[in-house]
Order: sequence, then C-alpha cells, then structure tokens
Amino acid sequence: MLASAIPTLVFYLLAAISLTLAWSVVTGRRILRAAVSLMGVLAASAGLYLLLDSPFLAGVQVLVYVGGIVVLLVFAVMLTRTTELLEDHPTRARQIVGGAVATGFFLLSYNMMTADAFVGRTLSPLPKNDVAAIGRALLDTGENGYALPFEVVSLLLLAAMIGGIVIARKPAVAAKPEAFHG
Amino acid sequence: MADFLTAHAPTLTHWLVLTSALFAIGLYGMLTRRNAVGVLMSLELCLNAAAVNFVLFNRYLAPTAQGGAERLDGAVMTIFVIAVAAAEVVVGMAIFVAMYAERRTVDVTRLDALKD
Repeated sequence: MLASAIPTLVFYLLAAISLTLAWSVVTGRRILRAAVSLMGVLAASAGLYLLLDSPFLAGVQVLVYVGGIVVLLVFAVMLTRTTELLEDHPTRARQIVGGAVATGFFLLSYNMMTADAFVGRTLSPLPKNDVAAIGRALLDTGENGYALPFEVVSLLLLAAMIGGIVIARKPAVAAKPEAFHG
Repeated sequence: MADFLTAHAPTLTHWLVLTSALFAIGLYGMLTRRNAVGVLMSLELCLNAAAVNFVLFNRYLAPTAQGGAERLDGAVMTIFVIAVAAAEVVVGMAIFVAMYAERRTVDVTRLDALKD
C-alpha cells in the first residue's frame, strides 16, 4: 500500500516544484536567478525520468542539461551583462499575446489528451537492461535502428562547436604588411 | 492518506497535463522575454517538456513493436533532443556574445537591423 503511494506523492511534489520554478524562469526579473530556477526545473525532470523507470535518461539529463547547458547559459548571461541588469516587465501587449498563445496551446493539447486513446493506459514494464537496449538501438543499422541519426548528431555537434568558435571569436586583426616579408 | 494517494495515482493524462503546462509556460516566456538569453531559457523549458513526452508515449502507448519485442524509441529520441539542445545552446551563446560585442545589447526588441 505504502509502496504505491510514494511514487504518487513524488509525482505531485515534482510537478509542483517544476511548475513553480518554470514560472519563475519566465517571469523573474533577475536573469541569473532565472538560470538557477531553470536548473531546478531540469533536475525535477530528471526525477520524473526516474519515476518513469529510466535512470539512464535521468543521468544524461543531469550530466548534459543541468551540468552542461545551464552552465553555458550562465556564461552567456555573464558575458552579455548589460548596464540594465534587471529585465523590464514585458509590455501589456506582449503579455496578452504571450498569454493567449500559451493558453491556446494548452487548451488545444488538453482537448487532444483527453481523447479515448490516452485514457486508462498503464505503465508497461521496460526491458531488463534498458541501457544496453538503448546502445544497441543507437548502433543498429537495420530497419528500426538509429545508426544514421546517431552519426548525423555527431556531425551536428561538431558543426555547432566549430560554428560557435567562428561566430564568437573576435574579428581577425589585419596582418601588418611587413610581417609577410619576414 | 496512503489510501487516497494510491487511489489517485497519476495516469497518462496527468503526466500529459504536466508536460503541456511546462511547454505552455516556456511558450509564454519565449513571447514575453526581452533578454535573448531569457528567450533561450524558455526554449529549453519547451524542449525539456517535449523530451519527457517522448518517454511517456514510449512507456504508455507503444511499449512493444509488432513482433512483441520491446522498443525504446522514446528514450533514443530523448537522447537526440538533449544532444540537439546542447548544440543549439552553444550556437545561441556564440551569437549572443558576438551580438553583444557588436551592439552592446541582447534586448530582442531592439534588434531590428533587418528592418532598415
């Protein structure tokens, strides 16, 4: 009895934490504090992956999202620190447009997710060793394998790395003519 | 207390409401934030909600293939989403740093170079 009550409690706890922190990410006036809140949301999502019996994804989430992406975002905040440190409140028109689009999206998807196909579904058991299964799927060249997307993602990461360096570096200083004569 | 919680275990709809709400909050942030880094953070919220959704659908709706073998396409997709998010943040940060060096601001409402 208690064993089935705890995951429910954890789910609603994580849901409350992520929704509260997500709201402070998008409305907080201090952008650095928003970054810390984002870290909390992503860590709560790692907890959600654990609830879904996917500890490997939870680990990837913490390593890449919390440890990598949020740190990069904090760097971006610090490197682009302007004189106006505090974010202004958005204008009324932007609030209305943003609220309308977000509410519209939520109502539309709520309409769909109460469809018959989604009601009354239960969690299915996962394969015993899901990390090994994920690894096999990533390297499978067969019909249902992901070998090609896997390689494309590695190319994408390489391109992003080189692109990041090229975009962010200072423009090259023009070489002095005498440098060529040695 | 324990009885109440056991009777109210989250179903797929509860999970989907949570992820849709997170996505909608991110959408709101993308449209209202003025700081470009804030827009990127809101985008990360959306990507994260979508990534959780992939695992959800895998676990609840398509756990096995036609032949009965277990499928983990949702988990694989989540890994791809995380990898693409990482690449996107790297390029985004580089663009913001270059933009700041050029114009001393990352306010998206003042970036109107294409209008001139």
